[in-house]
Amino acid sequence: MVPVEEATLVDCNGRSTREINELIRGAEGSVVVRNPLGRHCLGVAILKPLQVVFQGPVGWYCATMGDGLEAEIHGNCGWSVGQNLMSGSIVVRGHAGSSSGATIRGGTIRIDGNSGARTGISMKGGTLIVGGNVGYMSGFMMQTGTLVVCGDAADGIGDSMYEGRVFVGGSIASLGSDAVEAEVTEGDLAELAALNVEPSQSWTKLVAGRKLWNFSKKEFEVWKAAL
Amino acid sequence: MEGSLMNEKSSGNPGGFPLLRPSRIYSPEVIEDIQQKAEIGRYRIRAWSTLRRTPHLDDLTFVPCTLSRVPLEGYRETCETRTLLGARHGAKPIELRTPITIAGMSYGALSRNAKVALGTAATRVGISTTTGDGGMLDAEREASDQLVYQVLPSRYGFNPHHLRQANAAEIVIGQGAKPGTGGLLLESKVSETIAHQRTLPVGVDQRSPVRHPDFIGPDDLQIKIEEIREATEWKIPVYVKIGACRVGDDVKLAAKAGADVIVVDGMEGGTGASPEALLDHTGIPTLAAVCEAIAALREMRLEGEVNLVVCGGIRTGVDAAKALALGADAVSIGTAALIALNCNKPIYLEDYEKLGTQPGACHHCHTGGCPVGITTQNPELVKRLPVEEAAERVENFLNSMTMEIQMMARACGKSNVHDLEPEDLRALTIESALITGVPLAGMSTPLTIDAIADAIGSRLSFASNGSHRTEVAKQP
Repeated sequence: MVPVEEATLVDCNGRSTREINELIRGAEGSVVVRNPLGRHCLGVAILKPLQVVFQGPVGWYCATMGDGLEAEIHGNCGWSVGQNLMSGSIVVRGHAGSSSGATIRGGTIRIDGNSGARTGISMKGGTLIVGGNVGYMSGFMMQTGTLVVCGDAADGIGDSMYEGRVFVGGSIASLGSDAVEAEVTEGDLAELAALNVEPSQSWTKLVAGRKLWNFSKKEFEVWKAAL
Repeated sequence: MEGSLMNEKSSGNPGGFPLLRPSRIYSPEVIEDIQQKAEIGRYRIRAWSTLRRTPHLDDLTFVPCTLSRVPLEGYRETCETRTLLGARHGAKPIELRTPITIAGMSYGALSRNAKVALGTAATRVGISTTTGDGGMLDAEREASDQLVYQVLPSRYGFNPHHLRQANAAEIVIGQGAKPGTGGLLLESKVSETIAHQRTLPVGVDQRSPVRHPDFIGPDDLQIKIEEIREATEWKIPVYVKIGACRVGDDVKLAAKAGADVIVVDGMEGGTGASPEALLDHTGIPTLAAVCEAIAALREMRLEGEVNLVVCGGIRTGVDAAKALALGADAVSIGTAALIALNCNKPIYLEDYEKLGTQPGACHHCHTGGCPVGITTQNPELVKRLPVEEAAERVENFLNSMTMEIQMMARACGKSNVHDLEPEDLRALTIESALITGVPLAGMSTPLTIDAIADAIGSRLSFASNGSHRTEVAKQP
């Protein structure tokens, strides 16, 4: 990150969300956003290379739909951080609400703490790393990409995945429909090491069982649960 | 015994012609349905919309001007059709030259040629068209002057660059054909191109989610709308589309959440593929939906500020005019536009036969084998729909709809189609009178449940005081 003294400063106090976003979007290089105070929809749809540091907790939809954005959030964040990220990176120095990294298509999101339900839902690419635990139905309908959970996964992890990989470093409360364990390969371990992540226990790898790809009356029990 | 049964079987034929006695409960259709399910082991899937008869706009008739009101000259006097949608929060509104839009239909459900033809026709007529599940097709963007970009639960192909190119965003909560359930695209249509656009494995049965990945309830929707506005710098209107169920509540919640335009899709709405049970047994008819929606906006004093677009079984300019008279700002068409493209046209008969159907009764879009190249990804079939010719047919149809809307408006003495009002209508059935509040034909005041209860009450009272029995007793 660029040193704070060289960045454009945007103080949220006394400004509407629209004004704040106009200032962020109009900046070049790097931006420091002060006093976000849990405000929603900050740093939305930044479609150019730009570094943005949020100095404090943010609300819902922080740094969503970015393409080239490099964001860092010094605090907790609300639902759907980094939703539909196209490319770039987002780091959350705290915990995240539900639906973190929903539908991301590229880039990397790293959450130091825990993340809520539906983390990584409908991922369409990219890498989502959670240092702590994730909530219910994380990785639901994941299409591709990599979800790494260093801690524990709540019920229904990896439910109805099309493709992609989920790595869980702690305990798994229950697998979602059609999520199956796969062998953790040397390549996987090298990849995880490169991401600089450590499992709380040991890595479990989940992939799609592919039984839900196409309907089969011979697998009614699977479909009954899935539908 | 056997002999007498045989005699019974043959004796019900006094006229000498075969007399079949099918059950109304286990009708031939029900028997076929059960036996199909016994074969396939799942719910049935098909396209189009419900096959049921529902209370419909057909149950209303216009009462044009006579002595009590003065008509406009039907074939010549000016009758304004221009319509603006979405100015509530200062965005650049969608400007329609006629109060019709093309509904959201995906590239995937529809062929590339179909999408481009619809966009081309919409541009020529001066109306908007809409993307669908699967994102924006570049050729569709180029062909469409005004394109509404759908934000669907699946977010297949969703791209902020495309959102920025859109003229409006439409957050889809549900659709009339299958409210409460996500989209469906079966394996034959998930071609390499479509799979790539949606980031899916080639040839899967794509069953889309119904809940949005990043919000759930109405309070969340408010924040989602703010996110879309921030992403588009408040430059484009935000629509919210709902499948018609608890329309009054849903419209209020969408309006409160900040929608500029609310699209209400009745149960006659079409789809490229759906479980049949949902098509026939979910949602409420468009006729009822438009009335509930406008009542909700009136209650919130937002009529005119929040625009109402109505869709689901709108087939003609007359349907559109009736929806406008009931309070809609515009209508949206899907299936009708496809029929104008050539859907169900009696050509390539052998290919209808291969699908087990025939022109006039084809609802086999889900198979991907569309004989006329509209709802298919088969390149050879797509060639059967040349864009220019197809666009011209849709353009002609849209113009005919406009003329029909104007015809009704002029006959009712209106120089602007948006001046059509419930007073211009009469109901032809008791149920449509009760649903719409429009007076039953032959009555000058609305038919209400209270009025019926009063009438029944006075009749019962009349009977119980003996007068009625006395009258009967006097009869010879």
